[in-house]
Amino acid sequence: MTLGYVLLQNLRRNPLRSGLTMVAFALPMAVFVVGISLVLALQQVSKANEAELRLAVQNRIALVNALPERLRREIEALDPDKRRIVAVCGFRWFGGRVPNTKSGIQSLGADPDTFPIVYRELRWTDEEEQSWKRDRRAAVVGSNVAAQYGWNVGDRVTLESTVPPYLSLEFVIVKITDATGRVNGMYLRRDYFEESRAERGFRNPGCNVFWLRCTSIEAMREMQTLIDEHFANSPNETRTMDENAFAASFTEALGNLPGLMQGIALVVVFIVALVAGNTMMMSFRERTRELAVFKAIGFSNRRVFGVVLSESVMLAVVGAAAGILPTAAVLGAIGVRMVGFLPITSLTVSPTAIVIAMCIALSVGVAAGLVPAWQAIRLNTVSALRRVG
Amino acid sequence: MGAAGIVLRDVHKAYFKDRLEIPVLAGLNLEIAPGEFAALMGPSGSGKSTLLHLIGGLDTPTRGSVRVGDSQLESMSESALTAWRSRHVGFIFQMYHLVPVLTAAQNVELPLLLFRMASSERKRRVQTALSIVGLGDRTDHRPNQLSGGQEQRVAIARAIVTDPDVLLADEPTGDLDARTSEEILNLLNALNTEFGKTIVMVTHDPRAAGHAGRTLHLDKGVLDREEVNTRRAATASAS
Ligand SMILES: Nc1ncnc2c1ncn2[C@@H]1O[C@H](COP(=O)(O)OP(=O)(O)O)[C@@H](O)[C@H]1O
Ligand SMILES: [Mg+2]
Repeated sequence: MTLGYVLLQNLRRNPLRSGLTMVAFALPMAVFVVGISLVLALQQVSKANEAELRLAVQNRIALVNALPERLRREIEALDPDKRRIVAVCGFRWFGGRVPNTKSGIQSLGADPDTFPIVYRELRWTDEEEQSWKRDRRAAVVGSNVAAQYGWNVGDRVTLESTVPPYLSLEFVIVKITDATGRVNGMYLRRDYFEESRAERGFRNPGCNVFWLRCTSIEAMREMQTLIDEHFANSPNETRTMDENAFAASFTEALGNLPGLMQGIALVVVFIVALVAGNTMMMSFRERTRELAVFKAIGFSNRRVFGVVLSESVMLAVVGAAAGILPTAAVLGAIGVRMVGFLPITSLTVSPTAIVIAMCIALSVGVAAGLVPAWQAIRLNTVSALRRVG
Repeated sequence: MGAAGIVLRDVHKAYFKDRLEIPVLAGLNLEIAPGEFAALMGPSGSGKSTLLHLIGGLDTPTRGSVRVGDSQLESMSESALTAWRSRHVGFIFQMYHLVPVLTAAQNVELPLLLFRMASSERKRRVQTALSIVGLGDRTDHRPNQLSGGQEQRVAIARAIVTDPDVLLADEPTGDLDARTSEEILNLLNALNTEFGKTIVMVTHDPRAAGHAGRTLHLDKGVLDREEVNTRRAATASAS
């Protein structure tokens, strides 16, 4: 028998209470670990974005107000010797969906010539790039979308646009990408899109956003001010920002997710600590005599302190593990696909999130056990033994 | 380990309640020879438990000296006393105070967790202690599966498993019926005569005290009289 065994047996003393306390750890930790994983995945996306040195130029007033497509030439002219800009690619919102389905696909028309350059992290093969440039109906599809609709390279697919003039167009898939942040998107050729619009009388080719790939961070900063200054006081005032700022403005409706997660985590941790602390205190108050006997037998204050603290920590860690590990296993097994706003392939629990959650559980366990452990040290053995007569 | 004698000289003990001094022991002197079995009687609240706690190093006197074996307890720090207790005394309480979630054997093993010891040696000691108290066949029972008398036997096994010099029992039969009390007292008697343990036992019951070699009477903070139990002394020397 070891002291650890004695501790474990103590958890059986009041199985219902131990069980409920563990659930009080398990549930919030399960939610927390998923949230943290989400935040970590998003952080990874923004890190990946940073590495791409991209700037977004949009209408200063709103993204939906398209800028005339000729602005691309004007932007390019701001850096005539191409020291700072690698390429500029205009995008127009297509707003498509598969006929007879409800959920839309983030589908955008892109300038065919520069799209492979500005989005070179899609890792184009020569063949893919040639297909994209050769076929006006070419489309690049994110792996989540492809998986959702069962699409493969070479498939012909039809998308209906949900915005005027409500085009229904056929595309040929030339590439499926699982590049970070692109898995929920679909990219078509803007020339094909604009011509189809023109056929319906919509003769105002334009872009909701121009994406620039720059040569360096310094170049990005310079271009950002240069562009906005250039278009200031023109009919097409612009707002230029880096990719993460753009993504943040775009998902503003979702709120500040990392901040929210932190807030929730703090509140949850605080509540769990209070609940667990109270439970531990109750549990040990009932065992005052027993602790006194431990001391009478010759257990030192340090040992008794350790016994009480360990029990609390054990409860916390076992409880947290009971919440986290099944959650991680289930998510890993069913691989929840994240189709929609968040640019993440699938939601799995990251090892970092598990480590963070376990560390928090550990700290809460320590915090909850600290008061009763301190009380155990202060416990007057003689009066505790006398109290029972 | 050899038995230890107990010598108390001019021991004072007072408690403070709301800055009010409550004197309990007032200049108490006591001598118990190594290997002696002494009973301690007195009115309720006369300080019997207090005296027992002083002898066992659970509490320190306000004034005076307490020597147990070679150790001068009044000058030892709390942590030194704790370490000393684990080797030299075994406590037996009226309410047994066993850990309910542990088996009899595990309860007995508890004090051995404080010692570096091979697990086979530990098992052997636990088994020996349980055999001595006559519970060799109940090792896997939990306290709630045992009778009061059996629980007290487990508590006694726990007290002797470290082979202490001194056993201190605070009304060990206070919660037991006459027959079971008799068994427990015979067991203490055997620990005294056959294993040479020095025993101090607090009791209310004159018949229980009759098992000891000497009965000390505590009243008004001092031991005011004592009597030698000749009948018991005779059986002790005969064995
Ligand atoms: N911690 C304490 N604080 C105040 N008074 C105490 C304390 N412990 C014991 N006493 C008092 O000391 C006296 C002796 O107590 P105790 O040794 O338990 O007596 P006994 O065991 O003979 O019944 C009692 O009057 C009791 O109220
Ligand atoms: Mg008492």
